[in-house]
Amino acid sequence: MKFLDFLSYAAGQVTRKRMRAVLTIIGIAVGIAAVIGTVALGEGIRAQAIHAVEAQSDLTLIEVSAGQQSGMVQLVTGARVQAIKGLPGVTAAAPVLRDSFASERQTYLAVTGIGADGFNDVLSPSYAQGQAFSPGTDEVVLGADIWDTLRRYEGVRLGEPMTVLVREYADTGSPDDREVVLVPVGVMRERGDALDTAVVGDISFIGAVREREGSYDGIMIRAATPADVFSIVDRVEGFGLSATGSFEEIESVNRLMDMVVLVLAFFAAVSLIVGALMIMTTMVTSVYERRHEIGIAMAVGASQREVLALILLECAVIGLIGGILGDVLGIAFAWMIDVVGKPFIVAALGDGFAGLSTSSITMVTPLLLVFGVGAAVGLSVLSGLYPARIAAGQDPVEAIRSRR
Amino acid sequence: MNDAIEVAGVWKRYPPAVEALRGVNLTVGQGEFVALLGKSGSGKSTLLNILGGLDRPDEGTVTIAGVEVDYADGDALVSLRRQMLGFVFQDFNLLPSLTARENVAFPLLFNYQNSDERARRAYALLEDVGLADRADHYPREMSGGEQQRVAIARALIADPSVILADEPTGNLDTATSAGVIGLLRRINEERGTTFLIVTHDPEVGSQADRAIEMRDGEVVA
Repeated sequence: MKFLDFLSYAAGQVTRKRMRAVLTIIGIAVGIAAVIGTVALGEGIRAQAIHAVEAQSDLTLIEVSAGQQSGMVQLVTGARVQAIKGLPGVTAAAPVLRDSFASERQTYLAVTGIGADGFNDVLSPSYAQGQAFSPGTDEVVLGADIWDTLRRYEGVRLGEPMTVLVREYADTGSPDDREVVLVPVGVMRERGDALDTAVVGDISFIGAVREREGSYDGIMIRAATPADVFSIVDRVEGFGLSATGSFEEIESVNRLMDMVVLVLAFFAAVSLIVGALMIMTTMVTSVYERRHEIGIAMAVGASQREVLALILLECAVIGLIGGILGDVLGIAFAWMIDVVGKPFIVAALGDGFAGLSTSSITMVTPLLLVFGVGAAVGLSVLSGLYPARIAAGQDPVEAIRSRR
Repeated sequence: MNDAIEVAGVWKRYPPAVEALRGVNLTVGQGEFVALLGKSGSGKSTLLNILGGLDRPDEGTVTIAGVEVDYADGDALVSLRRQMLGFVFQDFNLLPSLTARENVAFPLLFNYQNSDERARRAYALLEDVGLADRADHYPREMSGGEQQRVAIARALIADPSVILADEPTGNLDTATSAGVIGLLRRINEERGTTFLIVTHDPEVGSQADRAIEMRDGEVVA
């Protein structure tokens, strides 16, 4: 193949001035290694942060509420609930009503009404005491924190009715509290989220308290895997509804880390630019040194395009070797950050981050390595354009006449 | 049959005041072995560069093997150099980083043949010029006469109809020169390749079918 023969000729040219080629290759390799090392550190920290979020929170739980789209309020309707249930990656979805009651001693109660089946499917709650509420009754289950408060300060007992106040307003605008009786039947285990302070009851009962029908305050969705979450959120937001959940923490981690990685990579890329300039100088020098030979090549039938191609291929070879070497150095660099740098980082962050010391804070992905080689080759070829044009633009007569 | 080279009314000026060629007319028949004589500065090399498509005339036409050369068409000039012409230079102009065989095969990297074919043809030509045993030597390991033979083999690799030689014996001693001229003459007879040889060497002039003399940019004889 002509291309391969050109490539091997170009590779042969690279090896002619060995010391110079090696120095240029090291120049580009150091640049690539710097980029790979810093990006690997950034990606490693990102992975750690996301891992921490995943471990500490219920990532596949998404809560949907009414939203705005093109100036219109988009409500949570029965049709939308059905549509969301049908989305790929959704294992369960249940409409919810939200309300605020108060206990007799004015403890704020965040009330959620949800179907008994939906509650099980979406949240699969586990109970520290008691059991789930039955459909169509005034039974409720309590979150761990609110149960603690009510039990200690208001003497609430499981299975015994408790009276709560539902605030309504008279025609005159003055508050007019109505008493409603609930029966706490279960206490959920501590979850570390909003459900710990929630009072959850059957949706038909909670709806009946306010005589509500037909629309909902939200939907609780259970995604099959963390990987499904973002596509579900996209679809939900496509309906004009808003979605909240632990995934937002991941989004903000990603936003932050995107910036951090970008800034780090930018500074590392400066050394890559130095490497590219080195290639340019090397190639300009080498083109001038070889003017005579290039003239001969033209005399024996090389076209300008072919001269251009040979010089660019020479740069590509330098870039390829530099990129591969850069990948190797980058991996070594990332490893060094892990082994030597991590104790300092962990010490600086404090005991809360001691977990880092057992895991890697850098992450070198195959994609990053491919990018390393690609960037090296691309940048080298780009730096070769100017010398290659000098080479191809020569007057063959002048070039042949010139002596080294 | 077409003439190998036909030059009609060719002018070449180097501003502001130099007129290197002043209306040159010249014909070389197919298979002729022609010496082009003249003092330095007479325009011989300029004419040779124009014939080789390395330089362009300001006026006039050049026809190689019946086809008028279009100096505005870079691709046409490239294929002219690849397929119709071979060059032999005074200082051999071999590539120092390539072996004899690679040097001979070098033009076929552009006038593309695969590497087996390149090696085969290069070796056959090295045999023809008597340097088969030097195939893997580098130019710096060879004498001037050997280097020039390698360069002649290189000029022949695409089996061109015309070989343009610029002082091919200028850097060689008398005995070696005779050998090189003998080789050129033999190639001319065996292959029917047309030769136009720019030279100072009276020995070349005497070996040629015909001598053309240039003076001050004009053909005088």
